[in-house]
Amino acid sequence: MSLDYQCGDPSALTSYLYDECEPAERCAIEAHLAICTTCAEEVEALRATRARLASWAPPTGALGFRIVASSPKPASEPDPAPVLTSPRWWQRPLPAWAQAAAAVLIFASGALMGVGVTRPSVPPDSASTIVSERPIDAIPMRTAGVSPADLAALEDRLRSEFVKARQADGHVRPVRAAVSEEQLMQQVRELVAESEQRQQRELAFRTAQVVRDLDSQRQVDLARIERTMGQMEGAAGVEVRQQRQMLNYLIRAAQRQQ
Amino acid sequence: MAWSDEELVARSIGGDVDSFNQLILRWERPIYALAYRVIGREEDARDVCQETFLRAFRALPGFKGQAKFSSWLYRIALNLCRDWIRRQRRAPLMQPPEGVELVDLVSERGPSESIEELVARQELSAIVEQAMALLSEEQRTAIILKEYHGMTFQEIADLQGCPLSTVKTRLYQGLTVLRRHLLKNEKTAPELVKHI
Repeated sequence: MSLDYQCGDPSALTSYLYDECEPAERCAIEAHLAICTTCAEEVEALRATRARLASWAPPTGALGFRIVASSPKPASEPDPAPVLTSPRWWQRPLPAWAQAAAAVLIFASGALMGVGVTRPSVPPDSASTIVSERPIDAIPMRTAGVSPADLAALEDRLRSEFVKARQADGHVRPVRAAVSEEQLMQQVRELVAESEQRQQRELAFRTAQVVRDLDSQRQVDLARIERTMGQMEGAAGVEVRQQRQMLNYLIRAAQRQQ
Repeated sequence: MAWSDEELVARSIGGDVDSFNQLILRWERPIYALAYRVIGREEDARDVCQETFLRAFRALPGFKGQAKFSSWLYRIALNLCRDWIRRQRRAPLMQPPEGVELVDLVSERGPSESIEELVARQELSAIVEQAMALLSEEQRTAIILKEYHGMTFQEIADLQGCPLSTVKTRLYQGLTVLRRHLLKNEKTAPELVKHI
Protein backbone atom coordinates (compact mmCIF):
# COMPACT_ATOMS: atom_id res chain seq x y z
CA MET A 1 0.00 0.00 0.00
CA SER A 2 1.25 3.41 -0.90
CA LEU A 3 2.09 5.83 1.86
CA ASP A 4 0.66 8.68 -0.18
CA TYR A 5 -2.82 8.84 1.17
CA GLN A 6 -5.26 10.55 -1.15
CA CYS A 7 -7.87 12.65 0.55
CA GLY A 8 -11.20 10.80 0.80
CA ASP A 9 -9.89 7.45 -0.45
CA PRO A 10 -12.67 5.09 0.68
CA SER A 11 -10.51 1.97 0.55
CA ALA A 12 -7.86 3.46 2.81
CA LEU A 13 -10.45 4.94 5.15
CA THR A 14 -12.14 1.54 5.46
CA SER A 15 -8.82 -0.13 6.25
CA TYR A 16 -8.14 2.51 8.86
CA LEU A 17 -11.64 2.25 10.29
CA TYR A 18 -11.31 -1.49 10.82
CA ASP A 19 -7.68 -1.25 11.84
CA GLU A 20 -6.53 -3.49 9.01
CA CYS A 21 -3.77 -1.43 7.51
CA GLU A 22 0.00 -1.38 7.73
CA PRO A 23 1.50 0.76 10.49
CA ALA A 24 3.04 3.12 7.94
CA GLU A 25 -0.25 3.57 6.16
CA ARG A 26 -1.97 4.13 9.46
CA CYS A 27 0.48 6.87 10.34
CA ALA A 28 -0.06 8.53 6.97
CA ILE A 29 -3.84 8.49 7.40
CA GLU A 30 -3.65 9.76 10.96
CA ALA A 31 -1.43 12.63 9.83
CA HIS A 32 -3.95 13.49 7.18
CA LEU A 33 -6.90 13.29 9.56
CA ALA A 34 -5.16 15.77 11.84
CA ILE A 35 -5.29 18.43 9.12
CA CYS A 36 -8.39 17.42 7.10
CA THR A 37 -11.67 18.09 8.87
CA THR A 38 -13.75 16.45 6.16
CA CYS A 39 -11.95 13.12 6.38
CA ALA A 40 -11.85 13.28 10.17
CA GLU A 41 -15.60 13.84 10.32
CA GLU A 42 -16.17 11.05 7.85
CA VAL A 43 -14.22 8.59 9.98
CA GLU A 44 -16.01 9.69 13.14
CA ALA A 45 -19.43 9.32 11.49
CA LEU A 46 -18.57 5.83 10.28
CA ARG A 47 -17.34 4.90 13.74
CA ALA A 48 -20.60 6.11 15.24
CA THR A 49 -22.53 4.07 12.67
CA ARG A 50 -20.54 0.98 13.62
CA ALA A 51 -21.33 1.60 17.27
CA ARG A 52 -25.05 1.72 16.49
CA LEU A 53 -24.85 -1.60 14.67
CA ALA A 54 -23.94 -3.27 17.94
CA SER A 55 -27.53 -2.87 19.12
CA TRP A 56 -28.84 -5.37 16.55
CA ALA A 57 -29.11 -8.70 18.34
CA PRO A 58 -30.56 -11.88 16.86
CA PRO A 59 -33.27 -13.82 18.75
CA THR A 60 -31.97 -15.88 21.61
CA GLY A 61 -34.30 -18.88 21.44
CA ALA A 62 -32.97 -22.37 22.09
CA LEU A 63 -31.49 -24.21 19.12
CA GLY A 64 -30.17 -27.50 20.44
CA PHE A 65 -29.42 -29.23 17.14
CA ARG A 66 -27.59 -32.53 17.40
CA ILE A 67 -26.79 -35.52 15.29
CA VAL A 68 -28.28 -38.77 16.54
CA ALA A 69 -27.90 -42.29 15.20
CA SER A 70 -31.33 -43.59 14.23
CA SER A 71 -31.04 -47.14 15.68
CA PRO A 72 -28.52 -49.82 16.60
CA LYS A 73 -27.45 -51.81 13.57
CA PRO A 74 -26.60 -55.42 12.94
CA ALA A 75 -22.95 -55.97 12.08
CA SER A 76 -23.76 -56.94 8.52
CA GLU A 77 -25.69 -53.77 7.72
CA PRO A 78 -24.16 -50.43 6.78
CA ASP A 79 -24.17 -47.51 9.22
CA PRO A 80 -27.62 -46.12 9.85
CA ALA A 81 -28.22 -42.72 8.34
CA PRO A 82 -27.65 -40.05 10.94
CA VAL A 83 -30.36 -37.54 11.53
CA LEU A 84 -30.08 -33.98 12.71
CA THR A 85 -32.70 -33.26 15.28
CA SER A 86 -33.97 -29.93 16.35
CA PRO A 87 -36.45 -29.02 19.04
CA ARG A 88 -39.64 -31.01 18.62
CA TRP A 89 -42.36 -29.65 16.40
CA TRP A 90 -44.70 -28.94 19.28
CA GLN A 91 -42.02 -26.73 20.82
CA ARG A 92 -41.91 -24.60 17.72
CA PRO A 93 -44.61 -22.24 16.41
CA LEU A 94 -46.81 -23.79 13.74
CA PRO A 95 -46.15 -22.43 10.26
CA ALA A 96 -48.90 -20.34 8.72
CA TRP A 97 -49.88 -23.00 6.17
CA ALA A 98 -50.36 -25.59 8.92
CA GLN A 99 -52.47 -23.23 10.97
CA ALA A 100 -54.59 -22.46 7.91
CA ALA A 101 -54.94 -26.16 7.04
CA ALA A 102 -55.98 -27.02 10.60
CA ALA A 103 -58.50 -24.20 10.62
CA VAL A 104 -59.98 -25.35 7.30
CA LEU A 105 -60.18 -28.96 8.46
CA ILE A 106 -61.85 -28.04 11.73
CA PHE A 107 -64.24 -25.67 10.02
CA ALA A 108 -65.13 -28.25 7.38
CA SER A 109 -65.76 -31.04 9.90
CA GLY A 110 -67.79 -28.69 12.11
CA ALA A 111 -69.83 -27.51 9.16
CA LEU A 112 -70.38 -31.07 7.99
CA MET A 113 -71.74 -32.16 11.36
CA GLY A 114 -73.69 -28.97 11.75
CA VAL A 115 -75.45 -29.63 8.46
CA GLY A 116 -76.14 -33.22 9.45
CA VAL A 117 -77.76 -32.31 12.74
CA THR A 118 -79.43 -28.96 12.30
CA ARG A 119 -80.91 -29.36 8.85
CA PRO A 120 -83.53 -32.10 8.62
CA SER A 121 -83.75 -33.91 5.35
CA VAL A 122 -86.56 -32.57 3.18
CA PRO A 123 -87.98 -34.49 0.27
CA PRO A 124 -87.67 -32.68 -3.02
CA ASP A 125 -91.40 -32.49 -3.51
CA SER A 126 -92.24 -30.91 -0.15
CA ALA A 127 -93.57 -27.38 0.27
CA SER A 128 -91.27 -24.57 -0.71
CA THR A 129 -91.21 -23.13 2.83
CA ILE A 130 -88.94 -25.28 4.91
CA VAL A 131 -90.10 -25.64 8.48
CA SER A 132 -87.92 -27.25 11.05
CA GLU A 133 -89.29 -30.48 12.47
CA ARG A 134 -88.26 -29.33 15.91
CA PRO A 135 -88.67 -25.99 17.62
CA ILE A 136 -85.62 -23.76 17.37
CA ASP A 137 -84.90 -24.12 21.09
CA ALA A 138 -84.72 -27.87 20.74
CA ILE A 139 -81.95 -27.70 18.16
CA PRO A 140 -78.60 -27.85 19.92
CA MET A 141 -76.28 -24.96 19.21
CA ARG A 142 -73.14 -25.89 17.28
CA THR A 143 -69.84 -24.80 18.71
CA ALA A 144 -66.31 -25.09 17.49
CA GLY A 145 -65.70 -28.14 19.72
CA VAL A 146 -66.40 -31.69 18.54
CA SER A 147 -68.13 -33.99 21.01
CA PRO A 148 -68.23 -37.80 20.95
CA ALA A 149 -71.91 -37.58 20.01
CA ASP A 150 -70.96 -35.56 16.95
CA LEU A 151 -68.44 -38.17 16.00
CA ALA A 152 -71.01 -40.92 16.37
CA ALA A 153 -73.47 -38.96 14.22
CA LEU A 154 -70.83 -38.44 11.57
CA GLU A 155 -70.02 -42.12 11.61
CA ASP A 156 -73.68 -43.11 11.24
CA ARG A 157 -74.19 -40.68 8.43
CA LEU A 158 -71.13 -41.87 6.56
CA ARG A 159 -72.23 -45.48 7.03
CA SER A 160 -75.68 -44.76 5.62
CA GLU A 161 -74.16 -42.91 2.67
CA PHE A 162 -71.86 -45.80 1.94
CA VAL A 163 -74.81 -48.19 2.02
CA LYS A 164 -76.80 -45.95 -0.30
CA ALA A 165 -73.90 -45.67 -2.69
CA ARG A 166 -73.50 -49.44 -2.76
CA GLN A 167 -77.18 -49.94 -3.39
CA ALA A 168 -77.15 -47.35 -6.15
CA ASP A 169 -74.23 -49.06 -7.85
CA GLY A 170 -75.88 -52.49 -7.46
CA HIS A 171 -72.50 -53.71 -6.47
CA VAL A 172 -72.20 -56.44 -3.87
CA ARG A 173 -69.00 -56.07 -1.96
CA PRO A 174 -67.16 -59.04 -0.54
CA VAL A 175 -67.23 -59.64 3.18
CA ARG A 176 -63.71 -58.42 3.75
CA ALA A 177 -64.79 -55.00 2.49
CA ALA A 178 -66.57 -54.50 5.81
CA VAL A 179 -63.24 -54.64 7.52
CA SER A 180 -61.75 -51.99 5.26
CA GLU A 181 -64.81 -49.86 5.81
CA GLU A 182 -64.30 -50.16 9.52
CA GLN A 183 -60.69 -49.17 9.03
CA LEU A 184 -61.83 -46.21 7.00
CA MET A 185 -64.15 -45.14 9.76
CA GLN A 186 -61.33 -45.55 12.22
CA GLN A 187 -59.18 -43.29 10.08
CA VAL A 188 -61.95 -40.71 9.91
CA ARG A 189 -62.30 -40.80 13.67
CA GLU A 190 -58.56 -40.42 14.09
CA LEU A 191 -58.46 -37.52 11.68
CA VAL A 192 -61.27 -35.74 13.48
CA ALA A 193 -59.63 -36.36 16.85
CA GLU A 194 -56.34 -35.10 15.51
CA SER A 195 -57.93 -31.96 14.15
CA GLU A 196 -59.55 -31.37 17.50
CA GLN A 197 -56.19 -31.66 19.21
CA ARG A 198 -54.68 -29.28 16.72
CA GLN A 199 -57.44 -26.82 17.38
CA GLN A 200 -56.82 -26.98 21.11
CA ARG A 201 -53.12 -26.53 20.59
CA GLU A 202 -53.72 -23.60 18.32
CA LEU A 203 -56.04 -22.02 20.86
CA ALA A 204 -53.47 -22.46 23.62
CA PHE A 205 -50.75 -21.04 21.40
CA ARG A 206 -52.83 -18.04 20.42
CA THR A 207 -53.87 -17.38 23.98
CA ALA A 208 -50.27 -17.45 25.15
CA GLN A 209 -49.32 -15.14 22.30
CA VAL A 210 -52.04 -12.64 23.18
CA VAL A 211 -51.02 -12.66 26.84
CA ARG A 212 -47.40 -12.16 25.91
CA ASP A 213 -48.25 -9.37 23.47
CA LEU A 214 -50.36 -7.61 26.06
CA ASP A 215 -47.62 -7.89 28.63
CA SER A 216 -45.02 -6.55 26.24
CA GLN A 217 -47.23 -3.69 25.17
CA ARG A 218 -47.90 -2.83 28.79
CA GLN A 219 -44.17 -2.69 29.49
CA VAL A 220 -43.58 -0.47 26.48
CA ASP A 221 -46.45 1.83 27.41
CA LEU A 222 -45.25 2.11 30.98
CA ALA A 223 -41.76 2.97 29.83
CA ARG A 224 -43.05 5.58 27.42
CA ILE A 225 -45.28 7.11 30.05
CA GLU A 226 -42.37 7.19 32.45
CA ARG A 227 -40.18 8.81 29.83
CA THR A 228 -42.81 11.39 28.90
CA MET A 229 -43.46 12.17 32.55
CA GLY A 230 -39.76 12.68 33.06
CA GLN A 231 -39.61 15.07 30.13
CA MET A 232 -42.67 16.95 31.38
CA GLU A 233 -41.22 17.20 34.85
CA GLY A 234 -37.99 18.51 33.38
CA ALA A 235 -39.82 21.08 31.26
CA ALA A 236 -42.01 22.15 34.18
CA GLY A 237 -38.95 22.50 36.38
CA VAL A 238 -37.30 24.78 33.86
CA GLU A 239 -40.40 26.96 33.63
CA VAL A 240 -40.72 27.24 37.41
CA ARG A 241 -37.06 28.19 37.64
CA GLN A 242 -37.50 30.86 34.96
CA GLN A 243 -40.59 32.27 36.66
CA ARG A 244 -38.79 32.34 39.98
CA GLN A 245 -35.89 34.22 38.41
CA MET A 246 -38.30 36.64 36.79
CA LEU A 247 -40.07 37.18 40.12
CA ASN A 248 -36.78 37.78 41.90
CA TYR A 249 -35.81 40.25 39.22
CA LEU A 250 -39.09 42.11 39.55
CA ILE A 251 -38.79 42.20 43.34
CA ARG A 252 -35.24 43.54 43.11
CA ALA A 253 -36.30 46.14 40.52
CA ALA A 254 -39.22 47.23 42.72
CA GLN A 255 -36.91 47.50 45.76
CA ARG A 256 -34.46 49.62 43.76
CA GLN A 257 -37.22 52.03 42.72
CA GLN A 258 -38.36 52.40 46.32
CA MET B 1 -9.54 -30.03 28.26
CA ALA B 2 -11.48 -28.56 25.36
CA TRP B 3 -10.76 -30.08 21.98
CA SER B 4 -9.88 -27.79 19.09
CA ASP B 5 -12.12 -27.68 16.03
CA GLU B 6 -9.55 -29.61 14.04
CA GLU B 7 -9.35 -32.37 16.64
CA LEU B 8 -13.12 -32.65 16.83
CA VAL B 9 -13.32 -32.77 13.04
CA ALA B 10 -10.79 -35.59 12.94
CA ARG B 11 -12.68 -37.54 15.56
CA SER B 12 -15.97 -36.92 13.74
CA ILE B 13 -14.50 -38.25 10.51
CA GLY B 14 -13.46 -41.29 12.49
CA GLY B 15 -17.11 -41.92 13.33
CA ASP B 16 -17.45 -40.16 16.67
CA VAL B 17 -20.86 -38.50 16.44
CA ASP B 18 -20.49 -36.87 19.86
CA SER B 19 -17.51 -34.92 18.61
CA PHE B 20 -19.56 -33.51 15.80
CA ASN B 21 -22.27 -32.63 18.29
CA GLN B 22 -19.66 -30.66 20.22
CA LEU B 23 -18.85 -28.78 17.03
CA ILE B 24 -22.55 -28.05 16.57
CA LEU B 25 -22.81 -26.79 20.12
CA ARG B 26 -19.82 -24.55 19.53
CA TRP B 27 -20.95 -23.10 16.22
CA GLU B 28 -24.74 -23.23 16.09
CA ARG B 29 -25.22 -19.82 17.68
CA PRO B 30 -22.87 -17.90 15.33
CA ILE B 31 -24.26 -19.72 12.29
CA TYR B 32 -27.82 -19.05 13.37
CA ALA B 33 -27.01 -15.38 14.01
CA LEU B 34 -25.43 -15.13 10.56
CA ALA B 35 -28.44 -16.74 8.87
CA TYR B 36 -30.89 -14.60 10.81
CA ARG B 37 -29.13 -11.36 9.96
CA VAL B 38 -28.75 -12.26 6.30
CA ILE B 39 -32.26 -13.54 5.61
CA GLY B 40 -34.12 -11.78 8.40
CA ARG B 41 -36.60 -14.50 9.34
CA GLU B 42 -36.30 -16.45 12.54
CA GLU B 43 -37.84 -19.74 11.45
CA ASP B 44 -36.06 -19.80 8.10
CA ALA B 45 -32.78 -18.95 9.79
CA ARG B 46 -33.30 -21.93 12.07
CA ASP B 47 -33.88 -24.16 9.05
CA VAL B 48 -30.80 -22.81 7.31
CA CYS B 49 -28.75 -23.41 10.46
CA GLN B 50 -29.98 -26.99 10.73
CA GLU B 51 -29.36 -27.67 7.06
CA THR B 52 -25.86 -26.20 7.35
CA PHE B 53 -24.84 -28.72 9.99
CA LEU B 54 -26.53 -31.57 8.18
CA ARG B 55 -24.64 -30.79 4.98
CA ALA B 56 -21.42 -30.33 6.87
CA PHE B 57 -21.85 -33.71 8.53
CA ARG B 58 -22.54 -35.42 5.23
CA ALA B 59 -19.61 -33.71 3.53
CA LEU B 60 -17.22 -34.19 6.43
CA PRO B 61 -15.26 -37.05 4.80
CA GLY B 62 -14.47 -34.67 1.94
CA PHE B 63 -13.23 -31.91 4.25
CA LYS B 64 -9.46 -31.94 3.91
CA GLY B 65 -8.71 -29.03 6.18
CA GLN B 66 -7.69 -26.60 3.42
CA ALA B 67 -9.59 -23.91 5.30
CA LYS B 68 -10.61 -23.52 8.91
CA PHE B 69 -13.63 -25.59 9.86
CA SER B 70 -15.50 -22.42 10.81
CA SER B 71 -14.79 -20.83 7.41
CA TRP B 72 -16.03 -23.97 5.71
CA LEU B 73 -19.17 -23.88 7.84
CA TYR B 74 -19.73 -20.19 7.09
CA ARG B 75 -19.41 -20.90 3.41
CA ILE B 76 -22.07 -23.62 3.54
CA ALA B 77 -24.37 -21.35 5.53
CA LEU B 78 -23.90 -18.41 3.18
CA ASN B 79 -24.60 -20.61 0.15
CA LEU B 80 -27.81 -21.78 1.78
CA CYS B 81 -28.77 -18.19 2.60
CA ARG B 82 -28.11 -17.22 -0.99
CA ASP B 83 -30.30 -20.08 -2.20
CA TRP B 84 -33.03 -18.99 0.19
CA ILE B 85 -32.88 -15.40 -1.05
CA ARG B 86 -33.04 -16.55 -4.66
CA ARG B 87 -36.05 -18.67 -3.86
CA GLN B 88 -37.76 -15.69 -2.35
CA ARG B 89 -37.17 -13.77 -5.61
CA ARG B 90 -37.10 -10.52 -3.74
CA ALA B 91 -34.95 -8.58 -1.34
CA PRO B 92 -35.34 -10.16 2.05
CA LEU B 93 -37.47 -8.28 4.48
CA MET B 94 -36.02 -7.73 7.87
CA GLN B 95 -38.80 -8.50 10.26
CA PRO B 96 -38.83 -8.00 13.97
CA PRO B 97 -37.94 -11.24 15.72
CA GLU B 98 -41.08 -13.33 16.06
CA GLY B 99 -40.27 -14.95 19.37
CA VAL B 100 -38.41 -12.20 21.15
CA GLU B 101 -40.38 -9.71 23.12
CA LEU B 102 -39.61 -7.28 25.83
CA VAL B 103 -40.44 -9.81 28.50
CA ASP B 104 -37.75 -12.07 27.09
CA LEU B 105 -35.27 -9.29 26.89
CA VAL B 106 -35.95 -8.18 30.45
CA SER B 107 -34.24 -11.30 31.71
CA GLU B 108 -31.22 -10.50 29.54
CA ARG B 109 -30.68 -6.94 30.60
CA GLY B 110 -27.97 -6.10 33.00
CA PRO B 111 -28.74 -4.97 36.52
CA SER B 112 -27.89 -1.38 35.63
CA GLU B 113 -30.16 -1.22 32.58
CA SER B 114 -33.54 0.37 33.15
CA ILE B 115 -36.68 -0.64 31.32
CA GLU B 116 -36.42 2.70 29.56
CA GLU B 117 -32.99 1.85 28.20
CA LEU B 118 -34.23 -1.58 27.28
CA VAL B 119 -37.07 -0.18 25.19
CA ALA B 120 -34.73 2.26 23.51
CA ARG B 121 -32.29 -0.55 22.72
CA GLN B 122 -35.00 -2.67 21.19
CA GLU B 123 -36.31 0.18 19.11
CA LEU B 124 -32.84 1.06 17.93
CA SER B 125 -32.30 -2.58 17.04
CA ALA B 126 -35.40 -2.43 14.86
CA ILE B 127 -34.08 0.70 13.17
CA VAL B 128 -30.79 -1.04 12.42
CA GLU B 129 -32.71 -3.98 10.96
CA GLN B 130 -34.66 -1.65 8.69
CA ALA B 131 -31.46 0.05 7.61
CA MET B 132 -29.76 -3.26 6.86
CA ALA B 133 -32.69 -4.23 4.65
CA LEU B 134 -31.83 -1.29 2.41
CA LEU B 135 -28.45 -2.77 1.49
CA SER B 136 -27.73 -5.14 -1.35
CA GLU B 137 -27.20 -8.76 -0.41
CA GLU B 138 -23.43 -8.46 -0.95
CA GLN B 139 -23.08 -5.31 1.12
CA ARG B 140 -25.23 -6.71 3.91
CA THR B 141 -23.30 -9.97 4.03
CA ALA B 142 -19.95 -8.18 4.05
CA ILE B 143 -21.03 -5.92 6.92
CA ILE B 144 -22.50 -8.81 8.89
CA LEU B 145 -19.33 -10.89 8.53
CA LYS B 146 -17.17 -7.94 9.50
CA GLU B 147 -19.21 -6.37 12.28
CA TYR B 148 -20.74 -9.40 13.95
CA HIS B 149 -18.31 -12.18 13.14
CA GLY B 150 -15.05 -10.24 13.23
CA MET B 151 -13.68 -11.59 9.97
CA THR B 152 -10.78 -10.02 8.15
CA PHE B 153 -11.12 -8.43 4.71
CA GLN B 154 -9.33 -11.44 3.24
CA GLU B 155 -11.63 -13.97 4.92
CA ILE B 156 -14.68 -12.10 3.65
CA ALA B 157 -13.17 -11.92 0.17
CA ASP B 158 -12.61 -15.68 0.23
CA LEU B 159 -16.16 -16.35 1.38
CA GLN B 160 -17.73 -13.96 -1.09
CA GLY B 161 -15.43 -14.98 -3.92
CA CYS B 162 -14.40 -11.43 -4.79
CA PRO B 163 -11.26 -9.28 -4.64
CA LEU B 164 -10.26 -7.71 -1.37
CA SER B 165 -10.79 -4.21 -2.79
CA THR B 166 -14.40 -5.13 -3.57
CA VAL B 167 -14.96 -6.12 0.05
CA LYS B 168 -13.71 -2.73 1.21
CA THR B 169 -15.94 -0.97 -1.28
CA ARG B 170 -18.95 -2.97 -0.14
CA LEU B 171 -18.21 -2.17 3.47
CA TYR B 172 -17.70 1.53 2.83
CA GLN B 173 -20.80 1.91 0.67
CA GLY B 174 -22.89 -0.17 3.05
CA LEU B 175 -21.80 1.84 6.07
CA THR B 176 -22.56 5.05 4.20
CA VAL B 177 -26.12 3.92 3.47
CA LEU B 178 -26.58 2.81 7.07
CA ARG B 179 -25.18 6.06 8.37
CA ARG B 180 -27.64 8.08 6.25
CA HIS B 181 -30.60 6.00 7.36
CA LEU B 182 -29.63 6.03 11.03
CA LEU B 183 -29.03 9.76 10.92
CA LYS B 184 -32.50 10.28 9.48
CA ASN B 185 -34.01 8.24 12.29
CA GLU B 186 -31.90 10.00 14.85
CA LYS B 187 -33.46 13.28 13.75
CA THR B 188 -36.96 11.88 14.07
CA ALA B 189 -36.34 10.04 17.35
CA PRO B 190 -33.27 11.56 19.02
CA GLU B 191 -34.27 10.35 22.46
CA LEU B 192 -33.70 6.76 21.33
CA VAL B 193 -30.05 7.31 20.62
CA LYS B 194 -29.63 9.33 23.79
CA HIS B 195 -30.54 6.32 25.90
CA ILE B 196 -28.09 3.92 24.31
